[in-house]
This record gives sequence, structure tokens and C-alpha cells, in this order.
Amino acid sequence: MEGPAEELKADHSTPLEISGLTVSLKTGAWKCAIVEDVSLRVRSGEILGLVGESGSGKTVTCLAALGLLGPAWQMEGEIRLARTRITDAPSAGQLASVRGREAAMIFQDASASLNPIEKIGKQLTKTVARLRGVSTGEAREIALDLLRRVEMPDPEERLHSYPFQLSGGQNQRVMIAVALAGRPELLFADEPTTALDVTVQSQILDLIKSLRDETKMGVVFVTHDLGVVKEVCDSVAVMYAGRIVESGSVERIMNAPRHPYTLGLIESMPTLSGHVPEGIEGQVPAPDKRPPGCAFAPRCEKAQEKCWSQLPLGAEGDGGDSVACFFPLEGDLGRTERPEHPTQSRSADEPVPDTLLSLNDAACDYDTRSGKFRAVSGITLSLNEGDRLAVIGESGSGKSTIGKLMLGIEPTSEGAASFMGKPVPMLGTSDHVAFARSVQLVPQNPFLSLDPRATIGSQIEEPLEIHGIGTKQERRARRRELLESAGLSPELAMRYPHEISGGQCQRAVIARALALRPKVLICDEATASLDVSVQARIIELLRELHRMHDLSIVFITHDLRLARSLCSHVAVMRSGQLVELGETSPMFEAPEHPYTSQLLASMPDVESTDSPTMETTQ
Amino acid sequence: MTGFVIRKLLRTLFTLFLVVTFVFFVLRLTGDPVSAMMPDDTDPAILDELRKQWGLDRPLGVQYLEYWFNLLQGDFGNAYRDGRPAIEIVAERVPATLKLTLTAFAFIVIAGFPLGIFAAVNRGTAIDRAIMTISVTGFSLPNFFLGILLIFLLSVTLRLLPAYGSDHWYNLIMPVITLGTAGAAVIARFVRSSMLEVLNAPYIRACRARGMTERAIIWTVALPNAAIPTITIMGFMVGTLIGGSIVTETVFAWPGIGRLLIDAVTARELAVVQTVVMITAASMVFANLAVDLLYLVIDPRRRYASGTGE
Repeated sequence: MEGPAEELKADHSTPLEISGLTVSLKTGAWKCAIVEDVSLRVRSGEILGLVGESGSGKTVTCLAALGLLGPAWQMEGEIRLARTRITDAPSAGQLASVRGREAAMIFQDASASLNPIEKIGKQLTKTVARLRGVSTGEAREIALDLLRRVEMPDPEERLHSYPFQLSGGQNQRVMIAVALAGRPELLFADEPTTALDVTVQSQILDLIKSLRDETKMGVVFVTHDLGVVKEVCDSVAVMYAGRIVESGSVERIMNAPRHPYTLGLIESMPTLSGHVPEGIEGQVPAPDKRPPGCAFAPRCEKAQEKCWSQLPLGAEGDGGDSVACFFPLEGDLGRTERPEHPTQSRSADEPVPDTLLSLNDAACDYDTRSGKFRAVSGITLSLNEGDRLAVIGESGSGKSTIGKLMLGIEPTSEGAASFMGKPVPMLGTSDHVAFARSVQLVPQNPFLSLDPRATIGSQIEEPLEIHGIGTKQERRARRRELLESAGLSPELAMRYPHEISGGQCQRAVIARALALRPKVLICDEATASLDVSVQARIIELLRELHRMHDLSIVFITHDLRLARSLCSHVAVMRSGQLVELGETSPMFEAPEHPYTSQLLASMPDVESTDSPTMETTQ
Repeated sequence: MTGFVIRKLLRTLFTLFLVVTFVFFVLRLTGDPVSAMMPDDTDPAILDELRKQWGLDRPLGVQYLEYWFNLLQGDFGNAYRDGRPAIEIVAERVPATLKLTLTAFAFIVIAGFPLGIFAAVNRGTAIDRAIMTISVTGFSLPNFFLGILLIFLLSVTLRLLPAYGSDHWYNLIMPVITLGTAGAAVIARFVRSSMLEVLNAPYIRACRARGMTERAIIWTVALPNAAIPTITIMGFMVGTLIGGSIVTETVFAWPGIGRLLIDAVTARELAVVQTVVMITAASMVFANLAVDLLYLVIDPRRRYASGTGE
């Protein structure tokens, strides 16, 4: 018998091998499999993309591989790192000695993943000293060297900084340096760039690639963004409802997906060339409500009887091609024809439409403890009837402030905000009530903007009540109409927000915003907290609303691909300034401002032509 | 940062000013020291004479200004009975109270922190539930009752400890338990919830992911982070201890300022009462100031926020 303490014959060429892994959550008599029958293999120097939407089991798989799941979790199957079999239930001490040395992990929220009250130099030095068994003095030198290797600006000074003094991107560099401290053979990167701005994201992705080249470590890169996958990964494993449904090389998966879910994911991604994302109907089943057959069958157009009752053979994420589907797709992704362009330039003889909202040399100051802070300045732009204007920029660029000025939430410090020729009334004034019938907001987090204790139906009706529109019966009828136009079934009216999915909540918020038949909808990162397949459906809805109801839209986003797929015009914001404004397609094809070009170049794109570099230094 | 400290200090002085004023008027509006001191059948003329002698016949405003005038020169007034300076009477009682409260404070920290940490680490187990049950009992018992209970058990029944006295170290045992139990219970609960919150933070998971042992995580990462919010509670604890010491000193006949205060109030020794109240108020106010400054030392986020933000 092999005791758990015994070291395996070291296999440095394959730092991770998972076979038949099932991970269940158990509380009392209740037990539910979160990850089912997953097999994966990562070779040294390989970046494997573990892709899927929320709840697919990606993160749980990674945590399981490091033995980081709590006592409520049960594992079956096998997980083997370079030298240790995690599934042999090694002791706490053995696990601790594996972590950081055989495999390390970086997380999505780097700023929250560092001890907030300890200087990063100290955190890094302590980790180096412990993992490499060197003196503090030597560890300090190594720590400095690590900061240089992760291309941290001013590494000597940064040693004396606390995490809260660094930006999100810098903290992620620190996390990577910490992860490298023990010279791991494997790195789990759990959505490491999801919370970062695109330009920072592309730097971090480059860094991970170059460190992989330098150290030959294997990387498991968890992400929901196929554009990122295309940029950094060599191979891909697609997870759905706890299982791997397809795996293969990144080229094959992106160009010729064989599982309908993979295709759905790719089709859901907006692209810089203006592909209109299609989305997947329905939602991921909850872990305890997975169907007996293929978990994707309820959402699959190609599903047949067999799919509902039988489980297709599992795919293995070992870099080789495999697909868990009875009726896999054949052939290339037929995306050759130019997709429908959202932008249609008006011909000269058409009447010039009315200007709805406009900002004229507008500036906005916020009061801070250290005085006034100018969030935006010198903004001149307008939204004409029928326009869909994207306001894009990175965090802190002032894009949300533009929305607030347009909504009368913030006053202009200089210049003016006007709606149909009149100044935008401030929130709280009596004029604002009438104004609000014409301009409505759809915020980012639908759960926060819905009352958790009121039914969806009553919340959709509420604006009508406030404005005293219609009789009770008429409001009921309008409610039904609104639910339908937002793509929700009327039965949802009696549900509470926590009883429906995030996508459905956002639809309900949109339905509520539409209740007063506004002329303008201002969407502030309205799809940012949704899964891509759901996001695509919301974009579809917005496009339809624009077409059917003559709705003008201001779409505030950090995602240029979304701007491209939805909007007729784009305003690019940077540090409170409007750097470029124009029609979408000309700008995306030939940006005038260097910052716009930089943003475009940083945006990961499933359609990008330059294929990812594979094992460049083998 | 200096600005922050100065502002805090000014606020502290203002609080002290309010305390002195409040105590001055409340004491003078609630009863006449002369009639309280003299037998009921004393000739009213003698009472008037005494009032005049002690300046109690003048308008309250004048007395108040005079009080401040003397106070700023370090004169806290004299006791009516023996004419000794009030500050002297109070000063000789301070060491006993300090001995009692500081030991109780140490007891609170030494008992409260480990219990809280232990409960948090064993969350949901029988250990956790036991500690929490004891803790509820601990702060639900009024301390005079606990004191009497201890005397009954340890002195009367088991005859292990003398019921009163203050000359030996073992005389401290019962008063300290009486005074500190509620505080220790509160700290244990607070440390537990603070630890649980910190143990769920992403940086703890990140520490585990880089191979730190659970013990190192608890003591070197989780505890320092969890201790930060407990400092506020510790500041309040100083107030609770001083308040509690009045009762505790009475129960155990402990010769501190708590008992002095009770005696002085009964005898309407205005100067003594005023001095005791001022000293206790000052120590509470300065304890809170110390808490604010301690935050700056311990929590870098506050240090920088107060340095650049304000």
C-alpha cells in the first residue's frame, strides 16, 4: 500500500493530472456534486484555459487541486501534482508544504488577496524565506528580484508600500511575485484579469505568458472570456454544469468548436469587428437540479431524445481533442460573411433628427476631503433621436459621471447638460419628475436596484403608480406587455428578485425602466455583472427595443466589443476628458486618437487574426 | 497626522470642560452640603454661617467661575469636614483602584482574546457553543451579584480566601474576577466574530494557497487584522471598569476611589466628589484618545488616510 506521505515519482513534465474527479458539497444528509467526472492534464510550459460561465465548477476544480476546499467538501477520483497526490488526503502539514512549491494560485481580486496591514515587501520576503528556506536578508534580495521580474515599476519603493497604496494591476503583479516565490511548477490563475482595465489586463496577460516561457511552469487559466483564452492559452477545456464538455487546442476550439455549448459561448462574445452576439437561451441548471442526461440539453437546439436521458461520454481536458456530445458539430465556424453592421450612416436627404440629450462644455466636480476633484471637464457631445451612443473608458475615466450629468444626478460645475433644449433638472426637484418619464437608468447590478421584498410585477408597475398613469386594470395590462417586451414570461410577475436569475433580474429592471415609455435609456455597465451568454441576450433585447420602440440609448461600458455590437456612435473617455467622438465603424477601423488605438489593441477578441503564440521557446 | 492628533486633543479637552461643568451644577442643584452634614436640629443661623464660610451663599455663576479659577491653579478645593485638600484625599486612594482596574483589564485581555480565538477556530463545534454560553452568562450576571456569590462560595463555604482586605496578592482574586468577567465575556464574543470575518477574507485563502500553516495564519495574519476593531471595545472597557469598580470596591471593602466616592456623595463632600468624578472622567476620555492614537499605530490605512486625507 502506498501511504499518503510517500512522494510519488516526480513527474515534472506533467505538473497536474486530474482524472475522474468528482467534488461534492455535503451538509448533513444533503450531498450535491458540484464538479463531476473531470479529467485534466497540464504539461509543463502549457497554458490550459479552463472556460465556463459562473457555476460551471472551474474555481472549485482549482481549489480542490490545492486541497483548499473546506471540510464540507468531498473528493473522489484522483488529483496529482508534480510530486504529490492530493486525493490521498495528505496531512495538513504535507498540504502546506505542497502549496506554493508544487502549485501556486493567484486570484481575481488581488487587492483583497494581500494582507491589508502588512507592507508588500514584508509579505513577499516572508513567503520567499519560508518557501525557499533562506535567511531574511537573502529573501529580501530575492523579493526585490521577483518584483523586477513581474515588471513592477519602482520595485525598491514598492517594497515599502501597503496593498491599499497600489492599483489593482500592481497588486496583481505582487500576487504573481508571491506565487513565484516558491518556484512552483504549476500556477492556477483564477480570473486574474477580470477586475482589471483592458490595458492593464493585456500587460498582465503578457507577463503571465513571458513568465511561463521563462520558468516552464504549467498554468491553469480560469476565465469566462474567450477573447482572453485566445490571447494566452495553448489549449482549452470548456466546462458546463460541473463537467468538461469539450477540450482541444485553442485554434481548433475557436475555429471549429464541436460542442453546441462551446459554439454558443463563442457566438455570445461580441467582437471588435461588430459580430452581433447571439447568446444562449435558458440558464445553467443549479447543481442539485442537473438533468439525468446531458446538462446542456435543455438549452441545446440540436438536442434529441437521447440527449435528455443519457450522459454523453466525458471529454478530457488533456490537450487532445475530445467532446462530450452525441451529435457534435462538424466543420469550421462559418463566420466568413461580414456580420450585420449596427451602424448605418444616414443618407444626406434624411431629415436631421432632433437632439435629445446634450452636454455642452460640461464639467463636474466632486467634493472630496482634500477639496474639489474634477471628474470630467470640457465634455461636448449629444444624443440625437435614434442614436445609440457608447461611452467607453477605463475605471476612473469619468464615463459614469457623464451618465450622472445626463440624468440630473450630479450638477454641472461648468457648462450645461440639456434635454430637448432645456436644462436637465436636478434629481429631487419637481421638474425632475416629468424629466424622469423621458430618461431612465439601467444600472449595473440588477439585484441592488430591485427591492428584495417586493414582487417583480409590483416593481414594474411602480413607476406607473407614481406618475398616476392608467387605472389598476390598465396598469396590469401594461405590466404584462412590459414583461413580454423585456422577454420575460408573465408568470414571473409574482416572483421575488431572489427567485429569478441575474439575467432575468436585469430584464425586469429594463422592463421597469420602459414602463413610462422613455425616449432615452441610460445603461451604466448594464451587462457587466452577467455571464456572456446572458449578456448577449440582453444586448439583443436592447437592439430590439431600439428598433421597435424608437428608443435612444446611452451605453456606458468598458467593453469596446459591446460598444461595437450595439452602438451607432462612440465617445471615448480618458481621465475625465473626451478624447474621441464619432460613428462606430469608422472609429473602430481607423481610430484617430492614439488612446483609442491602444484600447482597441488591448481588447481581447475571439476574432483577432494574430493567433496566440504557442510554446514560443521550446 | 500631527493635525489629526492636535484636533483629537482639543476635542478631548473640550469633553473634560463639559464634564467639569456638568458635575459642578448637578452636585450643587441636588442638595445642600451644610444641612446634610449638620444634625437636623442645628440652629439655622449656624447653618447660614457655615454656608457663608464655605462660599455657598454666593450666586452659582460666581461659585462656578471661582471653581475654575482655583482649578486652573491646581486647587481642587478642600473637604468640608477636616479641611484637607480634596486632591490629597483622592490621591491616596488612587493606587488601590489602579491596582484593581489594571489587573482586571489584564484579566479581560488574557481571558477574552484566547477564548474568542479558540471559539472562532472551532466554529460551530461543542467548544464554540460552550464558550459562547459561558460568555452570555458572564455578561448577564450583575457584578455585585457575582461578587457576593464568590464571597459566599470561596470565603464562607470553602474558606479559601478572605472576604475582604487588600494587603496580599490573593486579595485581588475575587475583586478582579467580579470586575473583569463581564468585560472578558464581551471581548470573547467580539474577538470571535471579528476573527470569523477575517478568516473568510480572500487574503486568508491566499495565505493558505501559498502554503502557510493554519497556525501561522491564525496568529500572524488573522489575529492582527481581527484585533484592530476590538481596540474600540477596549477603550469602552476602561469606562466599564471604572464604573464597575465603584460597586466592586463596595462589595469587597476595597480602599479605592470607588468607595471614597460613595462615602463622599453620602456626606455631600462636594470637592471630593467633584475631584473623583473629574479624575475618572479624565481617565476615560484619555483612554479613548489613546484608542484613536493606537489605531494610527496599528492600522496603516488609517495612518495614511489621516495623513493625506484631512
